[in-house]
Amino acid sequence: MERNVQKTGLVNLAAALVIFIAALAVTAYVNSLAGQAAAIFLGLGTLVAFTSWFQMRLEENERLEKLEVEELARTRGATTLFETKDAGSFPARQSRELFEKFLVPSFSVLLLLLEGGGAYLLWRWASKITAGIAPERALPALALFGVFALVLFLVGRFSVTIARLGNHRLLRPGASFLLAGAYICLVTALGIAGVKTEFPQIDFYLARALCVLLGLMAVETLMLLLLEIYRPRVKGKVARLLYDSRIVGLLAQPESLFTTAAQALDYQFGFKVSETWFFQLLKKSLPVLFLAQLAALLLSTGVVIIEPGEQGVLEHFGRLATGQPVLDPGAHFKWPWPVDQVQRYRTGLIQTFNVGFTPTAQSEAEPTVLWTVVHTEEVNFLVGNRAAETITNSTADSGDRLKVAPVGLIDISIPVQFQITNVLDWAYQNADPTNLLQDLATRAIVHYLAGADMNAVLSQSRVEAARQLHEKIQSDANRHRLGVKILFVGVQDLHPPVKVAGDYENVVAATQQRIALTNAAVAGAIQTNALAGAQAFTDISQAEAERQQTELAASARAGLFTNQMAAYAAAPSVYRQRAYFHMFPEATANARKYILLVTNTYNVLQFDLEDKIREDLLNLNVSSTNSP
Amino acid sequence: MKRNLITLITGAVLIVIFVLLLFTFQVRQSEVAVVTTFGRITGPPCEPGLHLRWPWPVQQVYKFDERIQNFQEKFRETLTADQISLITSIYVGWKISDPSAFLNSFKDGSVIAAQSQLESLLASDNITVVGKHPLADFVNVDPQQLQFDQIQMEMEQMVQGELQTNNYGIQIEFLGIQQLGLPESVTQAVFDRMKSERNILISRAQNEGQAEAIKIRANADRQANETLADAQAEATRIEGEGVAEAAKTLPVFQENPELANFLLSIDAIKQALNQRSTLFFDDRIPPFDLFHGTLTNPPSH
Repeated sequence: MERNVQKTGLVNLAAALVIFIAALAVTAYVNSLAGQAAAIFLGLGTLVAFTSWFQMRLEENERLEKLEVEELARTRGATTLFETKDAGSFPARQSRELFEKFLVPSFSVLLLLLEGGGAYLLWRWASKITAGIAPERALPALALFGVFALVLFLVGRFSVTIARLGNHRLLRPGASFLLAGAYICLVTALGIAGVKTEFPQIDFYLARALCVLLGLMAVETLMLLLLEIYRPRVKGKVARLLYDSRIVGLLAQPESLFTTAAQALDYQFGFKVSETWFFQLLKKSLPVLFLAQLAALLLSTGVVIIEPGEQGVLEHFGRLATGQPVLDPGAHFKWPWPVDQVQRYRTGLIQTFNVGFTPTAQSEAEPTVLWTVVHTEEVNFLVGNRAAETITNSTADSGDRLKVAPVGLIDISIPVQFQITNVLDWAYQNADPTNLLQDLATRAIVHYLAGADMNAVLSQSRVEAARQLHEKIQSDANRHRLGVKILFVGVQDLHPPVKVAGDYENVVAATQQRIALTNAAVAGAIQTNALAGAQAFTDISQAEAERQQTELAASARAGLFTNQMAAYAAAPSVYRQRAYFHMFPEATANARKYILLVTNTYNVLQFDLEDKIREDLLNLNVSSTNSP
Repeated sequence: MKRNLITLITGAVLIVIFVLLLFTFQVRQSEVAVVTTFGRITGPPCEPGLHLRWPWPVQQVYKFDERIQNFQEKFRETLTADQISLITSIYVGWKISDPSAFLNSFKDGSVIAAQSQLESLLASDNITVVGKHPLADFVNVDPQQLQFDQIQMEMEQMVQGELQTNNYGIQIEFLGIQQLGLPESVTQAVFDRMKSERNILISRAQNEGQAEAIKIRANADRQANETLADAQAEATRIEGEGVAEAAKTLPVFQENPELANFLLSIDAIKQALNQRSTLFFDDRIPPFDLFHGTLTNPPSH
């Protein structure tokens, strides 16, 4: 019996080793994260199986040694030689004791490091890695992991049963690892299958879950090591093996959890709840229920519900289904996975991509969009520049003209909206239709700008540009059978690059200044002409007044003279004298008058008749002028 | 017994599923597959549908996407025929035309390896074609001189020819220039030139505005002077008419010229002495002759 157990242990070791290596190879083949975690688990299982098998051999040797000693004692009689308690006389027992004392704890420490290190490294690796499962390799890998699960289950289940029935404590750790490994391989296969469904991330999350499992196993091993230090050693009482994980045991035999729960319920309720018919039915039916659940899950893939705004494409064994391959919104029946598969597409959704800029949260929140402020991550596009060409032609000779490129740079923000109209073309003509449409739109815009004039595009040609781009992108999409309708091409933000935008605004300001200068001059001209007209009117009016005055004065003077002649004729000398004296006081009223009485001839009178010179005239420096 | 039956059925179903998965494979509508037996390609490429196979490692199935694949070359700086640095990016649509040749040409039929090879070809042909054209062929406001489509066609023909010659198992469906640009240093120079163009326009606007204002003012001054000159001429003419009209009264004065001259003299004296003046009189001039003989300053003895 003992030899059979040892053989079983060896089979466990061989199975664990082979499947560990095979799992490693398949994992590398399919690039599965969960597969890597499963391989680590199987590797640990291999080490445990080896250790337990080695310990079995030691115990077997000890048992044989003991039998030999007893046989000798029986044949030769009781002598002191065979009654000795000297350890050197029992090398097998000594080897087993040394193994349990030193190597088992050392192995547990190694197990702890491998479990903890494996969990930590795999967690970090899973965070960094970007490449997922290769879809074309998923099915073979899935099948192989299924085979691994099956083999491990059969071997593990047999070993666990043997261990439980024969109470072989050394067989239990390896058997538990194999059985738990079977379940982990099955779960890994489901994770790999996820890449074929709508849940490709399931492999990643399974890997994370297995990392947590490894971490828990490491914590358990650490706790066992610490408790081992303080464990009371009772002679004759066999302790549980340090490397016999309870977590792995629970994972391998979840029904033991049922037993534990039943015991807890019995204790709580005070009677044997576990012996009631309901509990027994539940216990018996649980595997069947589990299988029924799996079957229901598989059958549920026979119905597909297409949401509003979606269309589905039905594939039968990968080939486009005959009849109605395009499924409209509603419920549809199909063969269960993997016979029929449905690819969903959001055909009702208005999709948008942007050419020339990448909107950011900050740019979306800004209330004002100005040329002079960077509002998105913009790209400079080359554009023709007629103004540059004109200036170049007017300033450069023919030799230089060839070296000057009449180009400008422009920033654009053009959103393009589209909708899928032919889902079959969209799905089967191009591997990456969204990216291709973006490339086509970008190319159309680059082509248009390369032949356009920058100033025209910035102003009057904007609407025409939008129309031409719309037509061009639509025709390119039709030519490449993208199955889309271009709904909108928005030439909403064309402007010079930020570094020169200020100069463009300055031109506008200068143009306004020019108009202001001209307007001021026109206003001045109006004033000048108006004043000149007024002055002309004044001059003419004065002239007319003077003419009238002259005429009237002459006429009056002639009338007066006629009368004066009569008076003069009457008394010529008196009239003259009277006229003279009449004039004299009036005429000399403002004159200084000096009367010289010539009878006084003795004195000489001197008059200084010079006018007083004004102060400012005295300050004049007229060196060349001689004063009289 | 019943439990064992369930276990057996479950095991059998699982085995059937696993065996089916190992011995069959599906090719999707968008795919084409090549089967190798011990490393050698066997049979024609598999069409979409369900197919039988021997499990690995006897047979291996390589599936390829049969649709047009879009690939964009990285931005590449090249010199144009007129020695201007130009940055271009090419996008290309390609598809696997011969899956067997494709598998032989690239390790495990790697699409990444194929795109890498394609990128090398594109880079070489891009440099060659761009170097044959001046910048004005890429960007030009004159549609007759713009050679954009022609350049793309040259690149596509060149790449297509190389692919067919070397039997890569792939063919080009379309090729286009996805982006045109200038290096940073050249971009800065273009910015400077654009600024200088704007400065020309600014200078033109400002100085032409001033010139126009000066012209308007000068024209206004000229018009004002003309108006004033016309008015003065008119005024002179009017004054002349007055003088002529006044002259008609002169014969009246001619009837007694002595009196007329006397009266004119009196008016002249009156007007002459209107301003500040100093007059010296002796006692013989009337009316001061009334002082004649009066001792005003008798001699002292």
